[in-house]
Amino acid sequence: MRYERRSFVAALAVLLLPAAACSEFTKVTNPGPIQDSDLNNPDVVPALVVGMSGDLSAAIDDMIELTSIAADELAHGGSYTAPGLYYRGIILPEDVNGVWAGAHRARWVAENGILRIREILGEEGYESSAEAARANVLAGYANRLLGENMCYAVIDGGPREDHKVHFSRAEDYFTEGLRLAERVGNATLRYAALAGRASVRAWQGKWDEAAQDAAQVPTNFVYEAIFSENSGRENNNFWIETHVRLEYTVYNTRWANVHGDPRVPWDTLYAPGGGIRNGQDGFTPYFQQKKYPERGSDVPLSKGTEMRVLQAEAALRRGDLTQFTALINEQRGHYGMDPIPQPANEDEAWEVLDFERGAVVWLEVRRFWDLRRWYEEGRNQFLANRDKCIPISRNEMNSNPNLHE
Amino acid sequence: MSDRSCFRRAGAVVCAIALGLVAAAPLAAQTGRIQGEVRASGSGRPLAGAQVYLVDGRAGTVTGPDGRYLILNVPVGEVTVRVQMLGYTTVTRTVTVVADQAATLDFTLTESAVSLDEIVVTGTAGQARQREVGNSLSQISTQEIELAPVRNTQDVIGGRATGVTVLANSGQPGTGGTIRLRGNSSVSQSNAPLIYVDGVRIYSEQSLAGGASRQRLLPLNDIPAEDIERIEIVKGAAATTLYGTEASGGVIQIFTKRGQAGRPVWTVELGTGVNNLGHVGPKEDPTGLFMVKCRGPELIDSEGNPFEDVTCPSSGSWLRNGPIYRFNASVRGGGGDLTYFLSAGYNNENGAIETGYSRDGGFRGNFSFRPYSTLDFAVNTSYRKRSSRFIPDGNLANGFTLNVMRGPANNFKRPGACSTPEMVCTSNAEVLDQVSMARTDHFVTGFTMRWEPTPRMSHRLTLGYDYLRIENSYELPFGFLRAPLGQISINDQQHTTLSIDYVGSVRHDLGGLASTFSWGGQLFEDRDNYVSAVGRDFSGPGEPTLTSGAVTEVSTHSRLRVVNAGFFFQEMLGWRDRLFITAGLRVDGNSAFGENFGLQPYPKLSAAYVISDHEWWPSSIEAMKLRAAVGESGKAPGAFDAVRTWEPIAADDGKPGFTPAQLGNPDLGPERTREFEVGFEASAFEGRIGIDYTYYRQRTMDALIGMLAPPSQGFLNRQLMNVGTIDNRGHELRLDGAILRTPTAEWRARLNISTNDSKAVDLGGEDIPVGSGNYVREGYPVPSFFGIKILNPDEIAEPILSEETYIGPSYPTRIIGFGTTISLFEDRLVLDLLAEHQGGHYNANFVGYQNNLRGVWRPCYEINAKLRAFNAGDQSALNDVTARERARCAIDREKMHSDFWISPADFTKLRTVSLTYRLPPRLVPGARTAMLTLSGRNLFTWTDYDGVDPEVADMSDSSFGRREYYNLPPLRSFLASIRVTF
Repeated sequence: MRYERRSFVAALAVLLLPAAACSEFTKVTNPGPIQDSDLNNPDVVPALVVGMSGDLSAAIDDMIELTSIAADELAHGGSYTAPGLYYRGIILPEDVNGVWAGAHRARWVAENGILRIREILGEEGYESSAEAARANVLAGYANRLLGENMCYAVIDGGPREDHKVHFSRAEDYFTEGLRLAERVGNATLRYAALAGRASVRAWQGKWDEAAQDAAQVPTNFVYEAIFSENSGRENNNFWIETHVRLEYTVYNTRWANVHGDPRVPWDTLYAPGGGIRNGQDGFTPYFQQKKYPERGSDVPLSKGTEMRVLQAEAALRRGDLTQFTALINEQRGHYGMDPIPQPANEDEAWEVLDFERGAVVWLEVRRFWDLRRWYEEGRNQFLANRDKCIPISRNEMNSNPNLHE
Repeated sequence: MSDRSCFRRAGAVVCAIALGLVAAAPLAAQTGRIQGEVRASGSGRPLAGAQVYLVDGRAGTVTGPDGRYLILNVPVGEVTVRVQMLGYTTVTRTVTVVADQAATLDFTLTESAVSLDEIVVTGTAGQARQREVGNSLSQISTQEIELAPVRNTQDVIGGRATGVTVLANSGQPGTGGTIRLRGNSSVSQSNAPLIYVDGVRIYSEQSLAGGASRQRLLPLNDIPAEDIERIEIVKGAAATTLYGTEASGGVIQIFTKRGQAGRPVWTVELGTGVNNLGHVGPKEDPTGLFMVKCRGPELIDSEGNPFEDVTCPSSGSWLRNGPIYRFNASVRGGGGDLTYFLSAGYNNENGAIETGYSRDGGFRGNFSFRPYSTLDFAVNTSYRKRSSRFIPDGNLANGFTLNVMRGPANNFKRPGACSTPEMVCTSNAEVLDQVSMARTDHFVTGFTMRWEPTPRMSHRLTLGYDYLRIENSYELPFGFLRAPLGQISINDQQHTTLSIDYVGSVRHDLGGLASTFSWGGQLFEDRDNYVSAVGRDFSGPGEPTLTSGAVTEVSTHSRLRVVNAGFFFQEMLGWRDRLFITAGLRVDGNSAFGENFGLQPYPKLSAAYVISDHEWWPSSIEAMKLRAAVGESGKAPGAFDAVRTWEPIAADDGKPGFTPAQLGNPDLGPERTREFEVGFEASAFEGRIGIDYTYYRQRTMDALIGMLAPPSQGFLNRQLMNVGTIDNRGHELRLDGAILRTPTAEWRARLNISTNDSKAVDLGGEDIPVGSGNYVREGYPVPSFFGIKILNPDEIAEPILSEETYIGPSYPTRIIGFGTTISLFEDRLVLDLLAEHQGGHYNANFVGYQNNLRGVWRPCYEINAKLRAFNAGDQSALNDVTARERARCAIDREKMHSDFWISPADFTKLRTVSLTYRLPPRLVPGARTAMLTLSGRNLFTWTDYDGVDPEVADMSDSSFGRREYYNLPPLRSFLASIRVTF
């Protein structure tokens, strides 16, 4: 019995001593993910802002597909189910989980990041930080993206609000971004803030202030969501869908009748040996968008030419057809296009504006909003009997207690 | 402290103590022999394959085909010999051995479907006799394995044990299936059972397969069926408590063959045959979805437009007979204190479509060394290397099956190259230029030390190491139509499991009461290293590497390490060797638990009552055991699931950035599955009838559910929370009967019936998509199909639709396995057959949906024409068209929906048939036995499912949800083999 007791004790020692010899052994390791507290470091601020930019690009990339189909910029020619519904004007909450989440992540990351940057750098550091200026501009664009495309605003798990809440938030961030950009002397960010603020002021009905902001942006200015060949996450996935998978075609849209317009570049895709290639569905003729010809093609967020068109719309709303025509032609001249004659009346001018603005912002996630606001004003009726915005996603509805009935 | 120094210190401690504990004992100097024969009572048939061994473990052997045996080097004096064979009662007898002489000892075994004295180890502390075990335990013996034409280990398990679901998923050689024991008990964590090989835990999950295969590998299949002695399966928490965290999906333990003292016994097996596919797709389609016929006038779309494939092989079919070659050799033997089993094998299996193959080869060495009567060592080592090339398959735009089956609506066309210039001209052979490979290396080694310092006390220590490396590569060659500059992607996964497993027990006899107290501890360290990289845009043709690409990208790199450690105590009280009560407690810690979460206890309690041991029990029912068990086990969350993290990303053209990753949950713990099971095992009429019945009821509490925070709060990944409850319940019945039993012939039949009824009781309000259109929702089976349901499918009317409606479960709710074996002429001729029915579940026929979308689903051609006529104004065109037909075969895209193609997936398959003939000794001089076997696999399928195959699923879309999406159906195989034992 004593022998058994000794061997029992010895066996337990075999069991326990190795563990006691190295408590480190039992630690979980998973290099890669960064713990939240590690971000509270001044050296990390540039990466935080790059992350904001990356999330905004990802959100734009997600949303191009939905909005371009819903707004008749492209047609569905592939095998994905949801875009087939978008093409028919049906946007369901369960189909927009990714789009909704990506856009809100872009907003939250930027807004939350600004608070973190303020805390890390302190007021003095914040006031002199180009990164802080850019963070505010990115927060403005993330809010504009949401305001222009979502049916409702939901902020940080809160209740449902009017989508224009995003425009007022965007205006605040653009204003702050403009102030900081001017403090640090960053002209690009200044124009980006002005162009962004011009648009969201216009959408809030502040057309005069919008026109004043827009007028300060040079016609050749472009501020873009950045894409790259560097990594899969940075790729312009819209290029992959339209150049590798052939999911979305210009065929069967109003733009299929527009030829030789540098603002609306597309071409018929032919198979080796001849014959028009069909889209991924196997039967829809494939007219391929050429605006984003590469995996790393950037997507404009604001452009000087859009500012001219925005000023033109402001002029039109004032009834000033002369200035309207001049601004439209300034924009056309930038693309090497012939000027147009002054429209005979405002109705004709609105048609011109519809086309010109549509061409300028083609495939830039802007057209869906233009159609929505013009529909509400009784102008372009393309969205009649179609969904006019992106609903609150099913996942947000299910997970946000403030949205439960 | 570094891991290396830590291991050095730990190893030194272990070795020092182990060596210090060894007690010297004198070696036997003189030996003799024991010989005899083993026969079945009643029929008197010689029993081949019975294990005959000295009870003290010093020597043993296996009977030959004539039932005879010879044990060499037996210590002189009185020795106790035991004969054991699955399906027969164990017999123990004593004989006196004289130096240099042979003692004769014959045995007669009584057939019994319940072997109450058989030793089992899975789910027990150390080892136990079947009579002592209070939970259900399934066994598959080497006899069953040798008779069946199994391709791999998953084939061994399917249909042969109750409560086991094996879904083949695909006909791609080299890919693995899905295994479930008693359904799915977890929503977010793996439901795969733990796999042990000779006491060593190996990688139990499915792994990624080649990028274009859309399937997964099953490392379990790296254990060759030829090496397997037996398999023990315990299926639920009531039996797996002692395995603790990770074990709620059940445990499968494989025991490979071991050496036997005696002269070397060589076994050589050679086999050859073919793989093919019979008809593919719906019976109404004479072209077999353009796979069986790729040329001729029947290549038309629903409007009668012909098309042509200029690359269709000269045979007029894309299908072929893919040759199979097999070779396996082994030797077992031993002398004195050392026994060995060595084996090596090579398989070359080619698929039914050109370029698809899987080749694997490897070896095994099992050694046992018993230097002292109280101490023995065992070393079991195996290595398997596999190289598989997959057909681009499944939900893949560049897939071969997708493009061939879509006929004229495919992605690979060569306009103008066909006989008629205006005809749609496809070019599918180009698809096969893609190269999708999986190369695996799997090394498993284990060292086991058993020490019995006294007859009442035993210790067992097992150190195990499992190394698995899988390299998947997927190459689009330079000049490929859909990526002209080419691309190569490589995924490299290395997984290692280091295991330390100690069990000790001590037994006390107190009159009619016996106590066995057991204790032990286990530690498992899992490391998972994964690298994924892409290179694209090659300069020119040639065999590329990643750096051949002008653009290269490392897309994923992870190095994960998780440690699970725990200990247990168990007490078993036995009364008069007929009533056994067992109580145990397992306590686990896991490095993935949240910081606020401590150790996790898992209790168990079971009872076994051998009622047939009472004198009043009727003798016609020779064995009857009642049993009941309740126990718990768990599943741990993943590493870092408990912590708030950010993911490093690149943005702004290659600059470093961060994006939100995991919200974090410091209270995160494992989910716990509590199971209650009750049942009985009985054998009657001298083993003519055997019954094994179990009813089980599981409840998974604190189930880990991936909860969504509102996306407007920024963190998009689901965060695991312990908020769910999942139920599983079912019946398991095994019937085994000898229909005919004479001295020269025997006809046995086996029937396994299993049911599983699962339900997500509480998901914390979540609605959980698990991929492929499958969901887990409260109140429904886990997982299930939901969608638009046609409420009036058989009416001649427009379809009435119900949105977001429950359609049915994704996994079988009933499985019936039927096997029969007919032995004639004293086992000279043996016919073995296994059929399996799986039913109660659904699959989504996305081939039908996508093809009809393109007007190339043959069963819809007639309805398509009627719908066109109706649209053209013929109001009577739809007078005989049902709502289901109108919905499925719709020609207006607005009316099409994939949900209409979710169909009942009940099927019955003739899994295996084999005819084995034992050749007369004169034909193979010098051989102990020679067996010639002709066999077939997957010969027939009976099903009303209207897709390609009800059993397949695209594993890249989801490894949990199921959906058929242009996946190759399981292959039909014919094989001839010869096995010679010298």
